[in-house]
Amino acid sequence: MNEGPHGDHPLERELPVTIAELEKQVILMEDIQEIENLQKIYGYYFEIGNYQGVVDLFSEDAESAEIESCGLFLGKAGVKKMYVDTIGSNKYESWVRFCIQMMGGVVDVDPGGKTAKGRWQTWLCEAMPVGGIPRQQWLHGYYENEFVKEQGRWLFKKLHWNVTFYTSFEAGWVRIPLLGLLTMKMADAPPTAFHPYPSGYHVPFHYKHPITGE
Amino acid sequence: MMNLEDLEKQVIRMEDIQEIENLQRRYGYYFDTRNFQAVVDLFSDNADSADLESFGLFRGKEGIRRLYWNDIGRGVRPRDPSESWISTAVIQIGGVVNLDPCGVTARGRWQTWLAETFLYGGVPRQYWVHGYYENEYVKERGKWFFKKLFWNVTFFTMFETGWLTQPLVGLLPMANPDGPPTAFYPYPSGYKFPYHYNHPVTGE
Repeated sequence: MNEGPHGDHPLERELPVTIAELEKQVILMEDIQEIENLQKIYGYYFEIGNYQGVVDLFSEDAESAEIESCGLFLGKAGVKKMYVDTIGSNKYESWVRFCIQMMGGVVDVDPGGKTAKGRWQTWLCEAMPVGGIPRQQWLHGYYENEFVKEQGRWLFKKLHWNVTFYTSFEAGWVRIPLLGLLTMKMADAPPTAFHPYPSGYHVPFHYKHPITGE
Repeated sequence: MMNLEDLEKQVIRMEDIQEIENLQRRYGYYFDTRNFQAVVDLFSDNADSADLESFGLFRGKEGIRRLYWNDIGRGVRPRDPSESWISTAVIQIGGVVNLDPCGVTARGRWQTWLAETFLYGGVPRQYWVHGYYENEYVKERGKWFFKKLFWNVTFFTMFETGWLTQPLVGLLPMANPDGPPTAFYPYPSGYKFPYHYNHPVTGE
């Protein structure tokens, strides 16, 4: 049998497959499933303003979190600073609303089985004050996140949500690609890749082409 | 290392989650095409209930048939060609499915984004609708079915106005529910629709 890019896949090898090989494959599938859930659970906590619940999804050794134009936050302390101390410090009324729709997850577990990367896109409908005025917004963006398995559980190691557009319901992304910046004073560094529409920027993929390997 | 029996259990668990994910999406696709008999057939004969939007609570398989076939579908089959402009696109997003330890019941949370067109107040209108499911499933004779379906609407607004300006175009009460909706608190109530699962790290 030819050894292609997937030549080490037990099912492409001659039978019999050993139990150890099967176990590896089963664990890989469970890992992907768990990471998919972690990402969605993150969104569901964010939506209801449970920011401590969000922070608890990150590893103690988390690298960073970065959203939109907020800035880069380093380490677990930075992660807490962004979600709990900054985003969570806004005492919003009940009409402020986030609907974060997690779509199109592509999750790849690294060969060691202890780290992983995932890409998603998001469609958001929001209602929040901008410039003191209540507004309703459409947002689109991409995640490229990193995950780590510790004590048998998957956690966020690095989270990066790159916004495509942040527009008002009434105007749309061509007319108003960005309602405004959401710079946070407590950030450890400026955003690393904030290039909203219509810059033409493509958020780099963590994966290679599955067929050509490029 | 796992033995063969452990491995088989884990594989079945993953197949179950996959099948439930498909069940949920098939429900949406049948709803989209207004095949309400097929929707009813996705429910267990021992189903608990279905509760959607402001429709009211419908109990048992008989109530579920009344809701989908009689009330939503109005018993029309094949579909009346004059109603072909009526449309529903239910986009099933963000499934988190958890199997109970027994392996024959499960729960799942989803959110939905809908683009719809139908008559309201006698006028054809186009809508944006958002909501969450918290559903229960049961495995019978090797197949997964809906045991309980609960879809909680966040907003039901017009394409032109939006959720901040008009959170709810109006109520959609059905003629013969078995009870009022169990948790109908649309935007901007601030209602937080409870999760079926605990926090995966803290367990809270």
